[in-house]
Amino acid sequence: MMKKKLYQSKVVSVHQCARDIFLLRLHEPALAADSRSGQFVEIQTPQHPDILWRRPFSIHNTVPDEGLVEILFHAIGRGTQALAKTKAGSIVDILGPLGRSFEYEDNLKHALVVAGGLGIAPFKLMQRELARRGVPMTLFYGVGSADQLCDVAFFREQTDLRVSTIDGSQGFHGLVTDLLVDYLQKCDSLEGKTVYVCGPTPMMQRVQEIVTRFDIPAQVTLETIMACGFGACVGCVVRMAQPQRGEKEYFLACKDGPVFKMNEIIIDD
Amino acid sequence: MIDLSVEIGSLQLANPVLTASGTFGYAEEFDGLFDLNEIGGIVTKTVTPRPRPGNPPRRIVELPGGMLNSIGLPNVGVEKFIIEKMPYLQSLKTAVIVNVAGTTEEGFAECVSRLEDVPGIAGYELNFSCPNVQHGTSYSTDANVAERITRNVRRLTKRILIAKLTPNVTSISEIGRAVQNGGADAVSAINTVIGMAVDINTRTARLATITGGYSGPAIKPIALAKVYELAQNLDIPIIAIGGIASAGDALEFMLAGASAFQVGTANFYQPDVTIKIKKGLESYCQEHNISHIKKVIGSLIT
Repeated sequence: MMKKKLYQSKVVSVHQCARDIFLLRLHEPALAADSRSGQFVEIQTPQHPDILWRRPFSIHNTVPDEGLVEILFHAIGRGTQALAKTKAGSIVDILGPLGRSFEYEDNLKHALVVAGGLGIAPFKLMQRELARRGVPMTLFYGVGSADQLCDVAFFREQTDLRVSTIDGSQGFHGLVTDLLVDYLQKCDSLEGKTVYVCGPTPMMQRVQEIVTRFDIPAQVTLETIMACGFGACVGCVVRMAQPQRGEKEYFLACKDGPVFKMNEIIIDD
Repeated sequence: MIDLSVEIGSLQLANPVLTASGTFGYAEEFDGLFDLNEIGGIVTKTVTPRPRPGNPPRRIVELPGGMLNSIGLPNVGVEKFIIEKMPYLQSLKTAVIVNVAGTTEEGFAECVSRLEDVPGIAGYELNFSCPNVQHGTSYSTDANVAERITRNVRRLTKRILIAKLTPNVTSISEIGRAVQNGGADAVSAINTVIGMAVDINTRTARLATITGGYSGPAIKPIALAKVYELAQNLDIPIIAIGGIASAGDALEFMLAGASAFQVGTANFYQPDVTIKIKKGLESYCQEHNISHIKKVIGSLIT
């Protein structure tokens, strides 16, 4: 895996792609060439020196031929709002690639991806990785309302896309996890299938129950609070499902993750 | 050519830039981000006699100008530390100071005696001031206990012995004098300031342990006052810690009497900050026509 590095990367563009959601495109050929789906970068917030920590962002996509790295983010705090206003040509201070990526078993025949809201972020890169292996993707993509959907045209063309919205404004009216249950119940065989999930905590907890019930392998990528992103602060702990009591009870989301096998962790509120 | 070297007791450091325990892992986490051999030394994350899982989440909180932590000294224990962490540290050409702690008074000596025949260690920093472990603070808030632990470890080693002090006491100088009497070669100060943050919507503390240690730029003025006080009252060198994020910050502490300093929280968000600080010290010396950084130590005009 590529070693992490500090980069001063040029912003190619920032544009809004859904309600409060922005796409940041950076020119950083080395990162574009070697980042894997599920990995993340830590970006220093521009213009806000009083915000200490960098912010972790999942790598949304790369365009290696053009040296581009794409980050999808929710502009909800001061830092991300400042990032949304960044002008093309400016420089951002970035550290990456960080963390463990999604893994594809040799016998993987079909990826079942569950994305909630901004949890869609890592899956564009995953789709491209899977396409190279000839593995099809079914994408269960749940949002609150249709105006929060990103990259729908891409995913409709490249995957078997199943949209759900809480308010019924598009696709299935309800929870994305219900779509998953319905799908799994109708499957003749789950052999060669793996579930990949990213989204809000309650959704991931529900998916954990579902994959346990159906006995299907699953990987999850977690978003946690972290001060550094590379194992120095030891703040971003995730409880181990099989702890060695009194010795080792936690994983680090930044280094051991952010991608975990669903059965090796406890997803806390 | 500017001479940045300083001495901590019999230990010569190539420059006064050290990393603070608990903010630099075991150095390998920073491999490749800058040339680690360029800084004066590395103080490791705390090692205890036996493994510790650390505290439950949530362990960290970001605040304006600083952060709270309650990590709880998770580590693999001294035996695994020697096998798993020392080889990388031994590969470095910089001073390695192992931060040690015990859950009992004897634990400190136990750790040090186990490490004594391990090569590549320049010294030890006694962490009897971690606010996030049971009994942690009592080791450094009781002068008699602090002196006793220091003396017991002093008997075991000729390596440099540094006692890390907490600011959460009535008189930091009193504790400083006690560890000086106990045989410490230097003190490092300050550890984190006990702090707390509350989420008013959930009506819960924002750390799982409710209180934790406050660090970062916000504590620099507090640290500076403590370092100045220690420099006035002790005969052994002071290693400054507390919100250092630039060469200017570091120089304030050196002017106030620190012989060296440790960079802490800033390593998290600017992993190559220490090398930048080292370069900043050189620039300062050049601009002020100072041939040797030692001349800055304690040169505050009052």
